[in-house]
Amino acid sequence: MARKPGTLQMPKAPVLKTPAIDHDVIRELAKLLDETGLTEIEYQQDGVSIRVARNLAVAGERPQTPTAIAGDAILAPVAAAIEPTQHPGLVASPMVGTAYLGPAPGARPYVEVGTQVKAGEPLMIIEAMKTMNQIPAPRSGTVIQILVEDGQPVEYGEPLMIIE
Amino acid sequence: MFDKILIANRGEIALRVLRACKELGIPTVAVHSTADADAMHVRLADESVCIGPPPAKDSYLNIPALLAACEITGADAVHPGYGFLSENARFAEILAEHNVHFIGPRPEHIRLMGDKIAAKRAATELGIPTVPGSGGGVGSDQEAERLAREVGFPVILKAAAGGGGRGMKVVRAASEMASALAIARTESKTAFGDDTVYLEKYLERPRHIEVQVLGDGKGRAIHLGERDCSLQRRHQKVWEEGPSPALNAAARDQICETVATAMREIKYLSAGTVEFLYEDGKFSFIEMNTRIQVEHPVTEMITDIDLVAEQIRVAAGNDLSLAQSDVKFHGHAIECRINAENPVSFRASPGKIVHYHPPGGLGVRIDSAVYHGYAMPPFYDSLLGKLIVHGKTREECLMRLKRALDEFVVDGIETTLPLFRALVREAEIIDGDYHIHWLEEFLARGAIEQ
Repeated sequence: MARKPGTLQMPKAPVLKTPAIDHDVIRELAKLLDETGLTEIEYQQDGVSIRVARNLAVAGERPQTPTAIAGDAILAPVAAAIEPTQHPGLVASPMVGTAYLGPAPGARPYVEVGTQVKAGEPLMIIEAMKTMNQIPAPRSGTVIQILVEDGQPVEYGEPLMIIE
Repeated sequence: MFDKILIANRGEIALRVLRACKELGIPTVAVHSTADADAMHVRLADESVCIGPPPAKDSYLNIPALLAACEITGADAVHPGYGFLSENARFAEILAEHNVHFIGPRPEHIRLMGDKIAAKRAATELGIPTVPGSGGGVGSDQEAERLAREVGFPVILKAAAGGGGRGMKVVRAASEMASALAIARTESKTAFGDDTVYLEKYLERPRHIEVQVLGDGKGRAIHLGERDCSLQRRHQKVWEEGPSPALNAAARDQICETVATAMREIKYLSAGTVEFLYEDGKFSFIEMNTRIQVEHPVTEMITDIDLVAEQIRVAAGNDLSLAQSDVKFHGHAIECRINAENPVSFRASPGKIVHYHPPGGLGVRIDSAVYHGYAMPPFYDSLLGKLIVHGKTREECLMRLKRALDEFVVDGIETTLPLFRALVREAEIIDGDYHIHWLEEFLARGAIEQ
């Protein structure tokens, strides 16, 4: 598989391939929270889930961690999608290399969002120094998120996929 | 010049290499284990790649991961720092096979100096004075006893595949030889995979004096003076200074020129240090380190030459930018290696640094990757940082060192700062009158207050 060395920039922190945050949806959900008096709304579409929750302080309880959004602070700096690095179904890269989603350029990818996999089945290839390493599914389940692009350089521990 | 340098190391030396790269305008890649994701040099590098979990064998010693990191970032050169793979000739060769430059000596010189018997033989052939001894590995017990009598007891048995002070046994009488040889062979086999042992005259109270060299691989080589590293604990250097308080100009010039001539002859490439024991006015070669060393800042402070930048320049094929006559020495420098350890028990003290205030001012340099709030990981060495101080004279240097040590605040972990505060007030240190056993004798007296 052809790859031009030096054209791919390695980012400083592990790159979370989350889709762009739809601010309008979040604003709508926050408005709904206020109007209905609910404390939490979760909305799912295209494999992306958004949860908006009101931060209720109860006497004696520790304040919630910043991953929950307070009802009025809509655009507070917080991950609206599932935090991939915290997800129990996360598949992280065991090595450094270049990720390829299919067995050859132009071939169909091993899995797509929604694919059911059995433990041990190949999810993708990570290539290093011309050696193709198949990455096996660590458990059976459904692929709910693919976090890398075809041809993306990955580091050790890079979030690759989420299998539930 | 290189397009991009990958720094294959961690801690203070990784930061040191990064600084040289930045000043040369060369983009940097920091590789790190998961434990070092918050390291200062990782934050400052242009790119970073996590290469593995904390254990060194899975990360900093993981050659495939390092190669893959070069591949995905397009790095065309690797600086190995010190320790880890810096003296691994095979690593240098593998990099070359993948068209990546190794910023260091040629593999054949790394190999030559890595074999302590071959290194000694090469030194003798090059006119460098060596310790009298067996020359090669000793065979039978009888041969060892005969040699020891010729050379004169006490003698020391050393592992050919060893180095850095490991795998050594002192023998004071012929009656001890057989059992000492057996133990030395077993230890050597276990530690280094090779039971070849050689024999040398044992010097009782020598100083450790080493000469810094730089070569461009084309026959040009210079020396940058010497460093006195006699203050050691368990063969680990603790305090280094240059010039050595024990040498006069004639002795200094003679040994440094002998070493520089030898390096020209073998067309040595990059930085290196030739180490000697010095006793009764005589130098004896013990080994050569084919890498940049921990204590290189001492030389940088008295010569104003950036050794890491020079390594990078000659690795890129440039001629040495300095002739011997360009090298000027001024003043005196002392380096203290400060460890995250209890200053009395030397037990390691990993943990979070809750207050950090390093000293500053004229002639004070800190080479450390530590910062306020940094948590020292427990997986690697305990070096917290190096405090290097320069003065116009040794007296001024000592006064400045005392002042700097008294300003240095590190809270949250234990450090060996109290040891240095005590040393800088010791009469024999102030007089420069010490040898390689001095520090252990001092510690045995129990002189440090915590």
